Amino acid sequence: MDRRVRLWSQILAYGNGRPVGVGDVCAAALATVGVDRAAVTVLLDATPRETVYASDQVTVDLQELTLTLGEGPGLAPPATGPVLVSDLATPESLVRWPVFAPAAVRAGVRAMFVLPLLVGAARLGVLDLYRGTPGGLRPEQLADALALAEMTATLLLDGADPAAPGAPRRWPERTAAQHPEVHQAIGMLTVQLGVSAAVALIRLRAYAYAHDRRLRDVAGDVVARRLRLAAESGTGTDGAAP
Amino acid sequence: MAETQLADVFVELADTLVDEFDVIDFLHVLTQRCVELLGVSAAGLLLTDQQDTLQVVAASSERTRLLELFQLQTDQGPCVDCFRTGQPVSVSDLASAGRWPRFTEAAAEVGFASVHAVPMRLRTEIIGALNFFHTDPVPVDPERLRVGQALADVATIGLLQHRAIRRREILAEQLGTALNSRILIEQAKGVLAERLGLAVDEAFTVLRSYARNHNRRLSDLAEAVVTGAVHIPPPAPAVPTG
Repeated sequence: MDRRVRLWSQILAYGNGRPVGVGDVCAAALATVGVDRAAVTVLLDATPRETVYASDQVTVDLQELTLTLGEGPGLAPPATGPVLVSDLATPESLVRWPVFAPAAVRAGVRAMFVLPLLVGAARLGVLDLYRGTPGGLRPEQLADALALAEMTATLLLDGADPAAPGAPRRWPERTAAQHPEVHQAIGMLTVQLGVSAAVALIRLRAYAYAHDRRLRDVAGDVVARRLRLAAESGTGTDGAAP
Repeated sequence: MAETQLADVFVELADTLVDEFDVIDFLHVLTQRCVELLGVSAAGLLLTDQQDTLQVVAASSERTRLLELFQLQTDQGPCVDCFRTGQPVSVSDLASAGRWPRFTEAAAEVGFASVHAVPMRLRTEIIGALNFFHTDPVPVDPERLRVGQALADVATIGLLQHRAIRRREILAEQLGTALNSRILIEQAKGVLAERLGLAVDEAFTVLRSYARNHNRRLSDLAEAVVTGAVHIPPPAPAVPTG
């Protein structure tokens, strides 16, 4: 909890009163994780991947290079964990990414950490972090990077729902963690609403927010079939007899 | 516990460490074998999320209340103590021990009176804990706890799939993968519960049977179920024999 409080405070400080965005999370990453470039790509369902934030031109170039070549650690997030490359100049890296790796090294990037933003089958995007010097992440840095990735995912989910100007964002509840019924509810909603896992997650969160309830409690109601979300977001029936 | 029974289990687990390795299924089998070999009522395996909490990744039973009891140990409980100290934790009578009030109460509600946790260790690093419960307030004998530690070590090896673990990056990637795989399975349980009209713990059995019968990795199948790429048919009704 302390970690997230610290990081969130930092992000709010960068936001400086306006609604925070993924750029502010990336600024926090640069400050705490010991990296010097960052980018956020949005995937969300069938839309082509789109880089929504890049810290500088070199980052933009590397993102485009990945797409053009169809090659690179950040290409497609595996339905898995992070991809952590401590040195793009090693023989192993050159074998895996024969064109991307040397190009990245020439551009002044040696280490690259790809953090997929996903909640099971809900693929939201990717957070890419780069560093000019080789080396891995220390455990504390990795922990911060993972926490920042979760916060980025939350911001992407909040998406088209910016807070009123001047108001800080509400505290980002951990979505990926902990409560099995949240994920079970997402599965059920994909069938009930005929939507993807990402959209199901967005709908569930929207309902919880609109009714000022905790995500896990709403999810528990869905799993117990006490609550059925209607086709439009933000509404639902509570299963009581008419 | 007969020596041959113990040997059989280790052979069974070693046999699974091959190319078509399915880590989640492996961990699930391991928790079931814990119950059989150690004479406990339930077993659960928790891994670090590499931030600050433990997450349930496999359990001997998918009963929701049991999973919740394991998961309750995010920040309090025997697994947390075990994880932080790297030492086994044994409490043969929770009620009189006076530790972890919230957890003790929840355990009592499910009917458990004693608890043990052994660390999952990778050299100097602790990556999680294996957790056992019993309905009787009795100590587990030291020999069985030794076997429990050996099973925890096997779980660690399986998780890392005997890859060269020189670099901590691989550990970080594997841990992230395992946690996301668990989320995929929870989502798939929700899909199957909705499609087939099952309870979520029954849904896991259906998922697992299909994976084994069709030679697919549990987590890959789970993702296919959630995206709709695979539709698992309802299980055939049991045919009465004799």
